[in-house]
Amino acid sequence: MRNSVYLRRHWQLYSLLLLPVIYFIIFKYGPMYGVQIAFKDFNFFQGIGGSKWVGLDVFREVFQNNNFFKALRNTLMLNLLDLIVSFPAPLILAIMLYELRITWFKKLAQTILYVPHFISWVIIGGIVLQVFGTQSGFINNLLAGMGLDAIPFLSDKNYWLVTYLLIGVWQSAGWGTILYLAALTGINKELFEAAEVDGASRFKKILHISLPGIKTTIATLLIINLGNMISIGFDRPFIIGNVAVRDYSEVLSTFVYRVGIESGQISLATAVGLFQALVGLIFLLASNYASKKLADESIL
Amino acid sequence: MTTRWSKKWAGPTVAVVLISSMLLSACSSKEDAASGNAASDSSKPTTLKVELFDRGNSPAGYTITDSYLTKLVKERFGKPNNIDVQFVPVPRSEEIQKLNVLMASQSEVPDIVFTYDSGTFNRYAEQGGLTDLTDLLDKNAPNLKKFLGEDTLAYGQYKGQQFALPGRRLVLGKYAGYIRQDWLDKLGLPVPQTTDELYTTLKAFKDKDPGNTGGKVIPFGVSLASAQYEPLLWSFVQPLTDEQKYTLTQQLGSNDYPTLLPGFKDGLKFMNKLYNEGLISKDFGLDKDKKQLWQNLQNGLLGFYTEDAGELYFSANGGYENLQANVPGAVITPVDAFTNSEGKHAKPAYAPNAMYVMIPKSSKNAEAALKYLDWMASGTNLFDMQFGVENENYTLVDGVPVVKPDATQEAMDRIYNFGDLAIIVNGKYAGDDAKNEAAYIAQTPEKYQADMKKSVEISNTDNIQPVKFDHPIEAEAKYGTALADKFQEIIVKMTMIKPDQFDSNYDSMIKDYMASGGQAILDERTAAYKEMSSK
Repeated sequence: MRNSVYLRRHWQLYSLLLLPVIYFIIFKYGPMYGVQIAFKDFNFFQGIGGSKWVGLDVFREVFQNNNFFKALRNTLMLNLLDLIVSFPAPLILAIMLYELRITWFKKLAQTILYVPHFISWVIIGGIVLQVFGTQSGFINNLLAGMGLDAIPFLSDKNYWLVTYLLIGVWQSAGWGTILYLAALTGINKELFEAAEVDGASRFKKILHISLPGIKTTIATLLIINLGNMISIGFDRPFIIGNVAVRDYSEVLSTFVYRVGIESGQISLATAVGLFQALVGLIFLLASNYASKKLADESIL
Repeated sequence: MTTRWSKKWAGPTVAVVLISSMLLSACSSKEDAASGNAASDSSKPTTLKVELFDRGNSPAGYTITDSYLTKLVKERFGKPNNIDVQFVPVPRSEEIQKLNVLMASQSEVPDIVFTYDSGTFNRYAEQGGLTDLTDLLDKNAPNLKKFLGEDTLAYGQYKGQQFALPGRRLVLGKYAGYIRQDWLDKLGLPVPQTTDELYTTLKAFKDKDPGNTGGKVIPFGVSLASAQYEPLLWSFVQPLTDEQKYTLTQQLGSNDYPTLLPGFKDGLKFMNKLYNEGLISKDFGLDKDKKQLWQNLQNGLLGFYTEDAGELYFSANGGYENLQANVPGAVITPVDAFTNSEGKHAKPAYAPNAMYVMIPKSSKNAEAALKYLDWMASGTNLFDMQFGVENENYTLVDGVPVVKPDATQEAMDRIYNFGDLAIIVNGKYAGDDAKNEAAYIAQTPEKYQADMKKSVEISNTDNIQPVKFDHPIEAEAKYGTALADKFQEIIVKMTMIKPDQFDSNYDSMIKDYMASGGQAILDERTAAYKEMSSK
């Protein structure tokens, strides 16, 4: 009885909620009907319902495919390296920005750092070619002018890896500072003042006030990052990668694109997608559990 | 990202596929409804629906379904035959998806549909969604049959039945080579006529830098597009027996690939040599769409390259014109430089077919549809659709239509989408082969026409024809795209690798290629060849 009164009183709020709920049902849960494609020999004309069930045949095919394992290995490798290189970058940047006292310079620096985030990967791909190309690239032209040998930034797989990671830092670090900056602003100013009175150096203040103050944020972001270990964006490896470095640049998302969408093997692509989702879930739960045990911070 | 992706893909398919499966089963239960009679009832006109690509480029005053050309069809074909021709616009970019939906809906599907995609045609034919035109063609469309010819028609057959009428492709030659004549003159070198001579020339370009590029010279321009590597690679392929031709060729997408042909390895070795001696652009593996190649060409850095014949001369591309503006005195000569072990200038050519024009099984107007296509192939109808009005759109020079450079906008707008209406042909049809070629050449600026003529000649020299079975190879449909990617990987890696590592890496890459579907294609083709030759 009380519930219905409550509902009647706040019906506007509930109807506001309706829209996002519908969105999730239609666009997130509805399409899950299609997951069964992974267990079927999908035939476009017979449809999802009409296609034959084949049990785990598709998964067997996936796990017998060498290229799948190569893509899986590359996905994990690129993500892990990205975590090592790209995860601390925005944290360090945010703390440095927070320490800045000249407001206009701080604003300017922030804006300049954000800009790459808003550039489409396609455009970044073009810039990368102009800067890092072996024959036409700006850097190699400089090197050639000094009589040095060209460095194959994009066509040797090890150099490519470095290029890939650094471009990632450049593109995302500035934007990543936003969450940390917000968390830093939330720290009680009196703590800093008290530390100053006690004669703490700037470094000590960072170590003992700033960092502990944003511990939760760091843990949350780390959990999200670990949970995403198995999934990788499509644009960056697809656009920065090229035929010469496919040994490293072929990841699960580009593999699904090539095999599933380009070659029309929808069943295979769905199976890989489902596999990715499952492993992703395991990663997420595991890292959340570990974080809860170790740091007493969790998001679930 | 990916999980969301496949689900996103699945979402719309659910709806479409559910509906289509119901409709398909409904229409397949109906017995051959195609041979209904058309235009016999004089009081009520037959409605004939024809698919039409909409590229969103209709000029002001016209819409896609109401333009000079649609009116011409209605006036000259519709009225006399008591047929009401209606055009069903289909967005060019979503052609196949849209066609799938239309095919699945029995009532909405046009009587005439078409696609360039051989996979889509094969799927429709295999699933029994198309009208068999073998008899109808003889009865209703003698002119069309003559116009298309046996060779072209063969491409529309699926296991012996004529399920599609492939458009006729007029320009069959693909590639020609191009070299900087002014560089040759400066160095006192002849135009290279063999692969060996070409190698010497490229070396000289590199060492002597006749274009004064300051060390930026790229003697041999290569990109990842087939026009740049196919002429070289195919010239290394050894003479083949019929059996080798059928079994060892791999057709990935619409092109034949030489991966397993004897001599392919030697071709790669030659490319490797060129690369390691600095004769090929170092970034060629990054240049998917020829963008860099064309930039280098226009900046006068390229010495030699191979390209789709004549591409250089079309004003729309601006290649040659820009080069001559950037580098005064630059002259390019068409050249046929690669020779094979027999001394021939062997290079691939197009199959003589274009678009697959099909009549769905659910169409009740197959006869009227064929009448329409036959009308197009008769008299001056096709000519008028493609060229417009004499003295307004074109002038006749020795019987060859030459586009008027000063035609009014109104006149040009009339035939803005002639290619999409004239579905029985790819290229402008001027009457006969000689005239077609002359009209094709006449499209380029006058100052380049001699070179254009030479390019076309080169592209038609010693052609290697595509190999064709009477039914599609299923493994090629399944692995084709992935293997085409692998093929590019092989080319790039084998070209860029250090020469002493070539052999070991080549073997492992080919092994990988075979394991990724190459073997499956080989097995299926071997079986298909056995079946074919035992007949």
